[in-house]
Amino acid sequence: MPNILNAVLAAGLLAAAATTLHAQKPPEAVDLSSFPAQSIDDVVVPVPSEVFIVLDKLGNPNWRSELRDSLGRQSGNRAQVALLLGTVIAEGFVAVEAEDSEKVKDIGRRVLTLSKAINVEKAVLERSKSITDKAEVKEWLAVRKEFDGALQDVKAAMQELGDDDLAQLVSVGGWIRGTEVLTSIIRKNYTTDSAELLHQPALVNFFTKKLDNLSNKRLAEDDLVDRIRKLLIAIAPLIGDGEGDVIPSENVTRIHKMTRDTVAAIASKGA
Amino acid sequence: MKKTLSFLFALLIAASAWAYVDDALSFAYEAASPYVKKGFSVREDAWGGDLGVKDQQAVQAQLFKGNEYWFCLGTDVKGAVLSVNIYDSKGNLINVETTRAGRLSAVRVEPPRTGTYYAIVTVHKSPEERTGWALVYAYK
Repeated sequence: MPNILNAVLAAGLLAAAATTLHAQKPPEAVDLSSFPAQSIDDVVVPVPSEVFIVLDKLGNPNWRSELRDSLGRQSGNRAQVALLLGTVIAEGFVAVEAEDSEKVKDIGRRVLTLSKAINVEKAVLERSKSITDKAEVKEWLAVRKEFDGALQDVKAAMQELGDDDLAQLVSVGGWIRGTEVLTSIIRKNYTTDSAELLHQPALVNFFTKKLDNLSNKRLAEDDLVDRIRKLLIAIAPLIGDGEGDVIPSENVTRIHKMTRDTVAAIASKGA
Repeated sequence: MKKTLSFLFALLIAASAWAYVDDALSFAYEAASPYVKKGFSVREDAWGGDLGVKDQQAVQAQLFKGNEYWFCLGTDVKGAVLSVNIYDSKGNLINVETTRAGRLSAVRVEPPRTGTYYAIVTVHKSPEERTGWALVYAYK
C-alpha cells in the first residue's frame, strides 16, 4: 500500500513539475492554422502614439507642422460625427507629440462636444477635464494615456447603447488620421525602415471586415462609410504582402494622398 | 413571472461574467504596473475571456519594429497557472523575457519586424472548470 501511495505521490509531483516546465518553456514554433478562426479574429487597434514614438526614434519629426488648423465641422449624420471624433482623438496624439498645450486643450473640449452629439458625453466628461488639467502642467505621458482612455470610454459607452457599429467608426476614423500623419512624415524623409511601419495588413483586414458587416443599415449605406471601404481596399495591396516586404516611396505618397483626402471629406461633413 | 426570472437569471450570469473579467483585468494591470515606472505606456484597451484547462486562445496584435512591449496577463482564479507567449505570423516564438508570480505573468518582446503577431494564452492548470483571463500590453 505505501508503495502505491509513493507511486501516486511521485506521479503527482512529476505531473506538477511537467506543468511548471511546460508553463516556463513554451514551444519555439506553433501551427497558427490550428487555432479556430473566431479565436484570432479580434485585434486591439493600436493608438497613433505607438507608431509615432517609433518615428521619434528614427528621426526628429516636426510634429507641430502636422497639426491641422481646423478640426472639422460636424453634421447631424452620426456616421460622420463618429468618424470625426476618431480623427479628433488621433489629433490629440499628434498634439501630445508636438507638446502643444493649447491645441491639446482645444482638442479635449472638441472631444466633449462631439461625444455630446452622439450621446456619450457622460463617458468622457472626466477624461476631457483631465486632458485639460494635465496639458496645463505639461504631463505629456499622462495626457497621452487620457486620450487612449477617452477613446476606450467612448467606444464602451457606444457599445453599452448598442451602437457597436458607431464604435468601430471611431476606431477607423482615428486610424485614417493616424495613417495620414504617419505617411506625411515618412515621405518627407523616406527610409525603408520608416515605411515598414505601414505594414499593417491585419488591421486593414479587420477594419474591412467590420465595415462589411455593419448591422445598422443606415450606417452600412452611408456615403462616407462606402468611401472608407473603398479606401481600405485600395490601401491593402500598397502596404506589403509579407513581413519584410519593402514599401516603396510611391506607395507612401499614394496612401498619404488617399488618407488626406478622406480625412478632408470626414472633416467637411461629406463623402 | 417565468420570463422575468429568466431575464434576471440571464442578467445575473452576464454580471458574473463581467465580474471575473474585471477581476482578471485588475490583475493584468497589476502585472503591468512595474513597467510604467520604466517609462512604458499601458494601453487602456484589452483582451479577455475564459478558458478550460489546457485550452489556448490566440489573439492578434499589430506591433511595430522599434518599440518594446510587455504583454501582461492576469487571472481571477487563485492557484491557476496561465502563460502568455508571443509568436510572429509564421508561428515562431519571439519572447525576450518572461516573468510569473501568482496570478500574474508577463512577457517582453522587441518585434524584429513591423506586422502581425499572435499572443497565445494558455491555461496550464486551474482548480476551476473555466478560468477567467485578461491581457493588456504596455509599449515604449
